[in-house]
Amino acid sequence: MIPLRLLVVVVLAFGVLLVARLFRQWRHTVRTEAPATPLIPLSIRAGAERTWVIFTTPLCASCGPIEARLRARDPGANVVRIDATEQPQLSHAFKVRSAPTVLLADGDGRVQARLVGAEAFDRYVRNPA
Amino acid sequence: MVVTPKPIDPRGPRFNQAVLTVGLVGGFLFDWKPVVPVFAVVLLLGAAFGPRYGPFLRLYAEVVKPRLAPPKELEDPRPPRFAAAVGVAFLGAATIAFAAGASTLGWALALVVAVLAGLSAVTGICVGCEMWLFAARRRGIPLAG
Repeated sequence: MIPLRLLVVVVLAFGVLLVARLFRQWRHTVRTEAPATPLIPLSIRAGAERTWVIFTTPLCASCGPIEARLRARDPGANVVRIDATEQPQLSHAFKVRSAPTVLLADGDGRVQARLVGAEAFDRYVRNPA
Repeated sequence: MVVTPKPIDPRGPRFNQAVLTVGLVGGFLFDWKPVVPVFAVVLLLGAAFGPRYGPFLRLYAEVVKPRLAPPKELEDPRPPRFAAAVGVAFLGAATIAFAAGASTLGWALALVVAVLAGLSAVTGICVGCEMWLFAARRRGIPLAG
Protein backbone atom coordinates (compact mmCIF):
# COMPACT_ATOMS: atom_id res chain seq x y z
CA MET A 1 0.00 0.00 0.00
CA ILE A 2 2.74 2.45 0.96
CA PRO A 3 4.69 1.98 -2.34
CA LEU A 4 1.54 2.96 -4.26
CA ARG A 5 1.02 6.01 -2.07
CA LEU A 6 4.70 6.85 -2.41
CA LEU A 7 4.31 6.71 -6.18
CA VAL A 8 1.33 9.11 -5.97
CA VAL A 9 3.37 11.52 -3.84
CA VAL A 10 6.36 11.35 -6.21
CA VAL A 11 4.12 12.01 -9.23
CA LEU A 12 2.49 14.96 -7.46
CA ALA A 13 5.90 16.31 -6.41
CA PHE A 14 7.13 16.14 -10.00
CA GLY A 15 3.95 17.94 -11.09
CA VAL A 16 4.59 20.72 -8.58
CA LEU A 17 8.22 21.05 -9.70
CA LEU A 18 7.18 21.09 -13.36
CA VAL A 19 4.63 23.85 -12.73
CA ALA A 20 7.25 25.75 -10.73
CA ARG A 21 9.75 25.49 -13.57
CA LEU A 22 7.18 26.59 -16.19
CA PHE A 23 6.11 29.47 -13.97
CA ARG A 24 9.70 30.68 -13.53
CA GLN A 25 10.29 30.52 -17.29
CA TRP A 26 7.05 32.40 -17.95
CA ARG A 27 7.87 35.04 -15.37
CA HIS A 28 11.40 35.46 -16.80
CA THR A 29 9.95 35.79 -20.30
CA VAL A 30 7.39 38.36 -19.22
CA ARG A 31 10.00 40.39 -17.35
CA THR A 32 12.58 40.40 -20.13
CA GLU A 33 10.30 40.79 -23.11
CA ALA A 34 7.75 43.26 -21.81
CA PRO A 35 8.47 46.63 -23.38
CA ALA A 36 9.81 48.92 -20.68
CA THR A 37 9.03 52.02 -22.69
CA PRO A 38 6.40 52.72 -25.33
CA LEU A 39 7.19 53.04 -29.01
CA ILE A 40 8.26 56.41 -30.37
CA PRO A 41 5.17 57.67 -32.24
CA LEU A 42 5.24 57.62 -36.03
CA SER A 43 4.52 61.36 -36.07
CA ILE A 44 7.94 61.87 -34.49
CA ARG A 45 9.83 59.20 -36.43
CA ALA A 46 8.49 60.38 -39.80
CA GLY A 47 9.34 57.01 -41.34
CA ALA A 48 13.07 57.29 -40.65
CA GLU A 49 15.23 54.20 -40.08
CA ARG A 50 16.81 55.85 -37.03
CA THR A 51 15.39 58.62 -34.92
CA TRP A 52 17.17 60.55 -32.20
CA VAL A 53 14.75 62.23 -29.82
CA ILE A 54 16.24 64.89 -27.58
CA PHE A 55 14.09 65.94 -24.65
CA THR A 56 15.11 69.43 -23.66
CA THR A 57 14.00 72.25 -21.39
CA PRO A 58 14.27 76.00 -22.05
CA LEU A 59 17.25 76.28 -19.67
CA CYS A 60 19.16 73.23 -20.94
CA ALA A 61 22.58 74.54 -21.96
CA SER A 62 23.95 71.30 -23.37
CA CYS A 63 20.90 70.35 -25.43
CA GLY A 64 21.69 72.62 -28.41
CA PRO A 65 25.26 71.32 -28.81
CA ILE A 66 24.04 67.72 -28.50
CA GLU A 67 21.55 68.27 -31.28
CA ALA A 68 24.25 69.84 -33.46
CA ARG A 69 26.65 66.96 -32.80
CA LEU A 70 23.98 64.39 -33.61
CA ARG A 71 23.08 66.04 -36.90
CA ALA A 72 26.75 66.20 -37.89
CA ARG A 73 27.57 62.69 -36.70
CA ASP A 74 24.50 60.86 -38.00
CA PRO A 75 23.26 62.76 -41.09
CA GLY A 76 21.04 59.87 -42.21
CA ALA A 77 19.04 59.87 -39.01
CA ASN A 78 16.00 61.86 -38.07
CA VAL A 79 16.85 64.18 -35.17
CA VAL A 80 13.91 65.61 -33.24
CA ARG A 81 14.10 68.06 -30.38
CA ILE A 82 11.19 68.10 -27.96
CA ASP A 83 10.71 70.65 -25.21
CA ALA A 84 9.64 68.51 -22.25
CA THR A 85 7.84 71.45 -20.64
CA GLU A 86 5.64 71.84 -23.71
CA GLN A 87 4.89 68.13 -24.06
CA PRO A 88 4.45 66.87 -20.51
CA GLN A 89 2.39 63.82 -21.53
CA LEU A 90 5.06 62.61 -23.93
CA SER A 91 7.77 63.28 -21.34
CA HIS A 92 5.81 61.35 -18.76
CA ALA A 93 5.27 58.43 -21.15
CA PHE A 94 9.03 58.14 -21.72
CA LYS A 95 9.85 58.77 -18.05
CA VAL A 96 11.88 61.88 -18.76
CA ARG A 97 13.12 63.26 -15.45
CA SER A 98 15.88 65.60 -16.59
CA ALA A 99 17.27 67.28 -19.68
CA PRO A 100 18.93 66.31 -21.84
CA THR A 101 17.38 62.86 -22.18
CA VAL A 102 18.23 61.37 -25.55
CA LEU A 103 16.41 58.37 -27.00
CA LEU A 104 17.49 56.43 -30.08
CA ALA A 105 14.64 54.63 -31.85
CA ASP A 106 14.77 52.13 -34.72
CA GLY A 107 12.50 52.17 -37.77
CA ASP A 108 9.69 50.55 -35.80
CA GLY A 109 9.88 53.09 -32.99
CA ARG A 110 11.51 50.75 -30.47
CA VAL A 111 13.84 52.57 -28.13
CA GLN A 112 17.35 51.17 -28.62
CA ALA A 113 19.27 53.52 -26.36
CA ARG A 114 18.41 55.93 -23.60
CA LEU A 115 21.00 58.49 -22.58
CA VAL A 116 20.29 60.70 -19.59
CA GLY A 117 22.57 63.71 -19.20
CA ALA A 118 25.34 65.19 -21.33
CA GLU A 119 27.98 62.89 -19.84
CA ALA A 120 26.02 59.78 -20.79
CA PHE A 121 25.71 61.16 -24.31
CA ASP A 122 29.48 61.79 -24.49
CA ARG A 123 30.20 58.26 -23.27
CA TYR A 124 27.83 56.80 -25.84
CA VAL A 125 29.39 58.80 -28.67
CA ARG A 126 32.87 57.62 -27.65
CA ASN A 127 31.76 54.00 -27.32
CA PRO A 128 28.37 53.29 -28.96
CA ALA A 129 28.50 49.58 -28.00
CA MET B 1 -12.11 55.93 3.76
CA VAL B 2 -10.98 52.39 3.00
CA VAL B 3 -8.63 50.98 5.66
CA THR B 4 -6.13 48.39 4.46
CA PRO B 5 -4.74 45.88 6.97
CA LYS B 6 -1.15 45.94 8.16
CA PRO B 7 1.11 44.13 5.64
CA ILE B 8 2.75 40.90 6.79
CA ASP B 9 5.98 39.00 6.13
CA PRO B 10 5.04 36.68 3.22
CA ARG B 11 7.43 34.00 4.51
CA GLY B 12 5.03 33.30 7.40
CA PRO B 13 2.23 31.88 5.23
CA ARG B 14 4.81 30.02 3.14
CA PHE B 15 6.23 28.39 6.24
CA ASN B 16 2.69 27.44 7.25
CA GLN B 17 2.07 25.97 3.80
CA ALA B 18 5.31 23.99 3.91
CA VAL B 19 4.38 22.43 7.27
CA LEU B 20 0.88 21.72 5.95
CA THR B 21 2.28 19.97 2.87
CA VAL B 22 4.68 17.81 4.85
CA GLY B 23 1.98 16.95 7.39
CA LEU B 24 -0.66 16.00 4.81
CA VAL B 25 1.76 14.04 2.63
CA GLY B 26 3.07 12.19 5.69
CA GLY B 27 -0.49 11.44 6.78
CA PHE B 28 -1.32 10.15 3.30
CA LEU B 29 1.78 7.93 3.13
CA PHE B 30 1.00 6.28 6.45
CA ASP B 31 -2.78 6.48 6.05
CA TRP B 32 -3.09 8.45 9.27
CA LYS B 33 -6.42 10.22 8.74
CA PRO B 34 -6.53 12.35 11.93
CA VAL B 35 -3.93 14.63 10.36
CA VAL B 36 -6.63 16.02 8.06
CA PRO B 37 -9.05 17.41 10.70
CA VAL B 38 -6.07 18.54 12.80
CA PHE B 39 -4.73 20.67 9.93
CA ALA B 40 -8.26 21.86 9.14
CA VAL B 41 -8.40 23.30 12.66
CA VAL B 42 -4.87 24.72 12.35
CA LEU B 43 -5.79 26.52 9.13
CA LEU B 44 -9.15 27.63 10.53
CA LEU B 45 -7.50 29.33 13.51
CA GLY B 46 -5.17 31.36 11.28
CA ALA B 47 -7.84 32.16 8.69
CA ALA B 48 -10.56 33.15 11.15
CA PHE B 49 -8.61 34.91 13.88
CA GLY B 50 -5.35 36.01 12.23
CA PRO B 51 -1.70 34.93 12.25
CA ARG B 52 -1.37 35.25 16.04
CA TYR B 53 -3.75 32.32 16.46
CA GLY B 54 -2.38 30.03 13.76
CA PRO B 55 0.05 27.65 15.57
CA PHE B 56 2.59 27.44 12.76
CA LEU B 57 2.24 31.12 11.85
CA ARG B 58 2.97 31.90 15.49
CA LEU B 59 5.89 29.44 15.50
CA TYR B 60 7.31 31.23 12.45
CA ALA B 61 6.81 34.68 13.98
CA GLU B 62 8.35 33.82 17.35
CA VAL B 63 11.02 31.23 16.53
CA VAL B 64 11.98 31.32 12.84
CA LYS B 65 11.56 34.97 11.88
CA PRO B 66 13.93 36.41 14.52
CA ARG B 67 16.71 34.25 13.02
CA LEU B 68 16.14 35.55 9.48
CA ALA B 69 16.97 38.81 7.73
CA PRO B 70 14.10 41.29 7.42
CA PRO B 71 11.76 40.50 4.53
CA LYS B 72 12.53 42.21 1.22
CA GLU B 73 8.84 42.85 0.66
CA LEU B 74 5.60 42.65 2.59
CA GLU B 75 2.22 41.43 1.42
CA ASP B 76 -1.42 42.02 2.14
CA PRO B 77 -2.59 39.47 4.75
CA ARG B 78 -6.04 39.01 3.21
CA PRO B 79 -5.10 36.82 0.18
CA PRO B 80 -3.29 34.13 2.25
CA ARG B 81 -6.11 34.17 4.80
CA PHE B 82 -8.60 33.59 2.01
CA ALA B 83 -6.40 30.79 0.64
CA ALA B 84 -6.35 29.25 4.11
CA ALA B 85 -10.15 29.48 4.24
CA VAL B 86 -10.33 27.58 0.94
CA GLY B 87 -7.99 25.00 2.46
CA VAL B 88 -10.27 24.71 5.49
CA ALA B 89 -13.22 24.03 3.18
CA PHE B 90 -11.33 21.26 1.36
CA LEU B 91 -9.97 19.68 4.53
CA GLY B 92 -13.41 19.93 6.14
CA ALA B 93 -14.92 18.14 3.15
CA ALA B 94 -12.13 15.54 3.36
CA THR B 95 -12.91 14.97 7.04
CA ILE B 96 -16.59 14.44 6.23
CA ALA B 97 -15.60 12.02 3.46
CA PHE B 98 -13.46 10.02 5.91
CA ALA B 99 -16.31 9.97 8.39
CA ALA B 100 -18.61 8.66 5.65
CA GLY B 101 -16.14 5.92 4.79
CA ALA B 102 -15.01 7.42 1.48
CA SER B 103 -11.29 7.28 2.15
CA THR B 104 -10.21 7.73 -1.48
CA LEU B 105 -12.28 10.88 -1.87
CA GLY B 106 -11.02 12.13 1.49
CA TRP B 107 -7.37 11.71 0.54
CA ALA B 108 -8.00 13.18 -2.92
CA LEU B 109 -9.40 16.35 -1.35
CA ALA B 110 -6.57 16.48 1.19
CA LEU B 111 -3.97 16.01 -1.54
CA VAL B 112 -5.44 18.92 -3.52
CA VAL B 113 -4.67 21.08 -0.49
CA ALA B 114 -1.22 19.49 -0.10
CA VAL B 115 -0.34 20.11 -3.76
CA LEU B 116 -1.54 23.72 -3.77
CA ALA B 117 0.15 24.44 -0.45
CA GLY B 118 3.35 22.80 -1.70
CA LEU B 119 3.22 24.79 -4.91
CA SER B 120 2.85 28.00 -2.92
CA ALA B 121 5.60 27.07 -0.47
CA VAL B 122 8.06 26.18 -3.22
CA THR B 123 7.27 28.79 -5.88
CA GLY B 124 5.14 31.47 -4.26
CA ILE B 125 2.29 30.67 -6.69
CA CYS B 126 -0.69 30.83 -4.33
CA VAL B 127 -3.81 29.85 -6.24
CA GLY B 128 -6.20 30.85 -3.44
CA CYS B 129 -4.42 34.21 -3.13
CA GLU B 130 -4.78 34.78 -6.86
CA MET B 131 -8.51 34.09 -6.57
CA TRP B 132 -8.77 36.75 -3.86
CA LEU B 133 -6.67 39.21 -5.86
CA PHE B 134 -8.79 38.63 -8.97
CA ALA B 135 -11.95 39.42 -7.01
CA ALA B 136 -10.29 42.41 -5.33
CA ARG B 137 -9.26 43.93 -8.66
CA ARG B 138 -12.77 43.50 -10.03
CA ARG B 139 -14.28 45.12 -6.96
CA GLY B 140 -11.63 47.84 -6.72
CA ILE B 141 -10.40 46.82 -3.26
CA PRO B 142 -7.07 48.55 -2.48
CA LEU B 143 -4.17 46.32 -1.44
CA ALA B 144 -1.81 46.72 1.47
CA GLY B 145 1.93 46.15 1.17
